[in-house]
Amino acid sequence: MAEPEVQEWEVFRQEKEGDAMRHGGSVMAPDAELAVHYARELYGRRQESIRLWVVRRADIHDLNDPDLLQPPLDRSFKKPGGYVMRDKLAAAREQSGTHKPRGNAG
Amino acid sequence: MTNAAAELVPATRNALSLLLLAMADDEFVIGFSDSEWTGIAPMLEEDVAMSSLAQDELGHAQALYRLLAEVVDDGRDADAIAYDRPVEGYYHARLLDHPRGDWAASICRRYLYDTADAVRLEALADSSFAPLRELVAKIRREERYHEMHMTAWLDRLASAGGEPRERLLAALDRLAPDAATVLAPLPNELSLVMAGIIDATGDELDARWRAKIGRVFERLNLSMVLPVADPLTARTNHSDAFRWLHGEFTAVRSAQPGATW
Repeated sequence: MAEPEVQEWEVFRQEKEGDAMRHGGSVMAPDAELAVHYARELYGRRQESIRLWVVRRADIHDLNDPDLLQPPLDRSFKKPGGYVMRDKLAAAREQSGTHKPRGNAG
Repeated sequence: MTNAAAELVPATRNALSLLLLAMADDEFVIGFSDSEWTGIAPMLEEDVAMSSLAQDELGHAQALYRLLAEVVDDGRDADAIAYDRPVEGYYHARLLDHPRGDWAASICRRYLYDTADAVRLEALADSSFAPLRELVAKIRREERYHEMHMTAWLDRLASAGGEPRERLLAALDRLAPDAATVLAPLPNELSLVMAGIIDATGDELDARWRAKIGRVFERLNLSMVLPVADPLTARTNHSDAFRWLHGEFTAVRSAQPGATW
């Protein structure tokens, strides 16, 4: 049997319930089981994570083409900044008699 | 002395002390021995993993020595018990007297030890001695991962064929005569069973352990010829390899007795 090939695995971690999974870093491992063990050691052994996702780097589809992501022409009309919602929302609330919900950006 | 320990009759307390000493020394010796891999394990990630496992064991040993110090109550603290004994005073299983050896030997030794330790801890899960029951509940949560990781490695070495499997088989041959020493019956252990401190004697634990690893050994086509350990020699006559390790782990403390770091 040939020696198993060691490959890169990307590790995502969640710090607490409700948080987004964030990229933590990577580990080298020959297979998914050991990759999970090593992710636990490198990104979880100090109780800093409540969940880990381990993804083979080769399974990640990469897009970094500047023509697709950073086109040179003015694209400001595709940004939502042109629509000022705050005043319209306030007027709508006034009309319906509701208050701005607490702790919510509205 | 803890209230829980003061309530025990002397014979039971002595038997409990030996059980705690056996468990603590087992964890202490395998922890120190496996920490010899730090910096030279097969790959960086495994270096971190093996070192972390070894460190866990030293943490378990520390907690067990503390509990032992309370039960024995002779003025020694955990460090004094851990470090200030001569080679002959250590009570770990002979399985752990084997030198670290190559990677396959370390994996094989640790697999045999971790599976036996898991059986021992399970037998203490409902212990009537509350301080031990509470400690064991915490230790078991860490040992789950140890067993997972060791099983993953045993699988790979056994299934790889070629040199990995040859080295594993050679290691198993060397370790087999002492494999069962971890669960060999301890002196007066029946008093622990009667008091509900542990749920079975060593013979029964040995049978549970064989049933547990038997399935894995069968799947991996490994020999289950693991002789029953002689209780009189299971934890005595330590090896030259342990003599060397003892010199290593006592070096700093004996260089400056009483110093703190």
